Amino acid sequence: MQIKVKLYASLRRQKFDEADWEITPDQKIASIVEQLGLARQDVGTVLVNGLHAGWDETVAEGDVVSLLPRMGGG
Amino acid sequence: MSEKTISNNPESVVYKRCTVDLASGTTTFAQVPCKNLEDVLGGFGRSFQILAERDIAEAYCPENPVILNTGLLTGTSIMTGMRSYFSGYSPLKKSGTGRPGAMWSTGSGNFGNKFKWTGLDEVIFENRSDKPVYALLKEGENGPEVELKPADHLIGLTGHGKIMALYQEYPEAHFAAIGPAGENWENNYMGAVVMSTDNELKSGEPKSRFAGRGGMGSLMGYKNLLAVVALSSDKLQKITPEIRDVNRDILKSGGSARFQPASQGGGGGTWANIEVLQVFHAVPLNNFRPKGNDDVERLFRDEVEKEFDIATEACHRCGIRCHNNLFYKNEDGSRGKLAAKFDFEPLILFGSNLGVHEPAKVCDLIHRCDLLGMDAISLGTTISYVLDYNERHPEKPLFNGATFGDYDKITELIEDAGRGKLPGIARGVKRLSEETGETSYAMHVKGLELPAYLPDTNPGYMFAIAGGHMSMGTHMMLAKEGKHSLEEWTQAITTGGLLQVGYDMIGLCKFVGVGIGHDIIVRALKEAAGLEIASADIVAAVRRAYLRGLALELRQGFHEEKEYTLPAQVMDAPNPKVTLPKFITNEFLAELRQRVWSVFKPEMEGLLPVQGE
Ligand code: SF4
Repeated sequence: MQIKVKLYASLRRQKFDEADWEITPDQKIASIVEQLGLARQDVGTVLVNGLHAGWDETVAEGDVVSLLPRMGGG
Repeated sequence: MSEKTISNNPESVVYKRCTVDLASGTTTFAQVPCKNLEDVLGGFGRSFQILAERDIAEAYCPENPVILNTGLLTGTSIMTGMRSYFSGYSPLKKSGTGRPGAMWSTGSGNFGNKFKWTGLDEVIFENRSDKPVYALLKEGENGPEVELKPADHLIGLTGHGKIMALYQEYPEAHFAAIGPAGENWENNYMGAVVMSTDNELKSGEPKSRFAGRGGMGSLMGYKNLLAVVALSSDKLQKITPEIRDVNRDILKSGGSARFQPASQGGGGGTWANIEVLQVFHAVPLNNFRPKGNDDVERLFRDEVEKEFDIATEACHRCGIRCHNNLFYKNEDGSRGKLAAKFDFEPLILFGSNLGVHEPAKVCDLIHRCDLLGMDAISLGTTISYVLDYNERHPEKPLFNGATFGDYDKITELIEDAGRGKLPGIARGVKRLSEETGETSYAMHVKGLELPAYLPDTNPGYMFAIAGGHMSMGTHMMLAKEGKHSLEEWTQAITTGGLLQVGYDMIGLCKFVGVGIGHDIIVRALKEAAGLEIASADIVAAVRRAYLRGLALELRQGFHEEKEYTLPAQVMDAPNPKVTLPKFITNEFLAELRQRVWSVFKPEMEGLLPVQGE
């Protein structure tokens, strides 16, 4: 099934801004990140359709998965 | 420290203090045994115990000291170990009773190392000089020596100007100086301490670091102490295999990785936060009121790169290299002169939050603030209030009538504030908003202006003891994790969040980014300082230091309900444009306060020394 993946900041610069992505129906977010070739420790936040999601969650056809790098500072 | 004792017995660790009486010019040296682990770790953990012994009702009084000290790892070869700390009762942070809050402020650069290598761990500047002076701290044949020298030739120079002038006299030294803002202490409470870096001294460009928060530069100005010179030979600690391992782990840690150069696969410094927060329309815009538009995207790194050459540079020997310095491009494409340092706080607070979105203009505003030696957070946030007020009251605007995006008039405000001509701005947003009577959109907590993270996303600000500073590590929790329940926020504030201040004790940059009791920290203390301290003991000491700071706030009159709150606009008019959960209501805050105090209060008992003893 197909989802949309959006990447931000340093992740976007490593790969792409936005892409349609083929996954298997039961694929967890952790595995999607791996499939994208991103290091899990580089990803700080995952959003599914704008809401925070965890590594073990699965997604549905047409969902938008946004991956944000680790944030911090101050 | 005078002894490298492998022990967790604090009294066995002795540090070297010099007390300088600025009024008489006398200096007194003492070997001081540590009372507790907070003393051993250093930084504010030590200085706040000294401050707590004093009864200070006014920041500008002779009895209010400026305490300069270091952390246990300052001057070691542990990466980022070069912090020095300036502490005192703040002219800016004040309670409802009018009494000042204790503050510390810290910066990197090579000044901390050079200071430590003089053989001193702490200098307490008492009273005030009747003439402008600078302090020369140097290593002598029989230990450290301290002298006060006339500083008339430094008067009126920028912070960077003072540093470069002193560098001519002391080419082996490093420097901490105040700018015009600190010199105009009566009308400017947000003067910073400007600290030299190797790159600055070599290039002559103003690549200083700043101990900005809380007006410690203004307090130095009140004391007529214009600069501190640290003159010592370099004592670079041998990098043992163990220290190399610790440094490698610091570099590899997820925390520091995000501050490393984008070109090396790192996050590129705090700058990257802007793009991430924009996903939620949570980047401060027009006085912390995002509009849900894409205005801030002009300040994204890729956009700025079109106009400027970006160089990632570092303090002395630091591999994290978190400084993003922007240089103008010459016509032939080569690197021109330095435009500004460009990190998240100044970028936002002099950019989108003032309605200014052209990178070149933002650079210019940051640069002016830096040269005048003001805290970028306090100044930017106070000016954004002025612009907001003027937009609400076009018929009777404040000052020169500047509004959002009015670069020329904002420039005037910065220059005039820095030179002491606009006390209305330079005494901070709390006082200004109390004068106008419109306090709901004055973005401060306990009198300290908020950094560039929306209060709508961080109730942790209430319990940050540096008040509105980033010393409560919860400023990104909502955006990162989406957590917004009472349980989660109580837990974050009372456990992890407060430990952020530990970095302001041990001498490392918080950009190392691992938890304070982390194995890396334990190993660093063992290998570089020779002290075996268990992780749980470090955590307990940091917690006590934080709670002592909180107890000191209450003793200085901060009201445990009315002043542990957020700007009223957050609760009264939640911003519909921010796409993160809106959970902060008056009821939420009341319940959160109650839960947090019920954890903290019993632990705070007995932490304050008896005054005068
Ligand atoms: S992390 Fe940044 S501020 Fe800290 S020492 Fe390294 S370069 Fe300097």
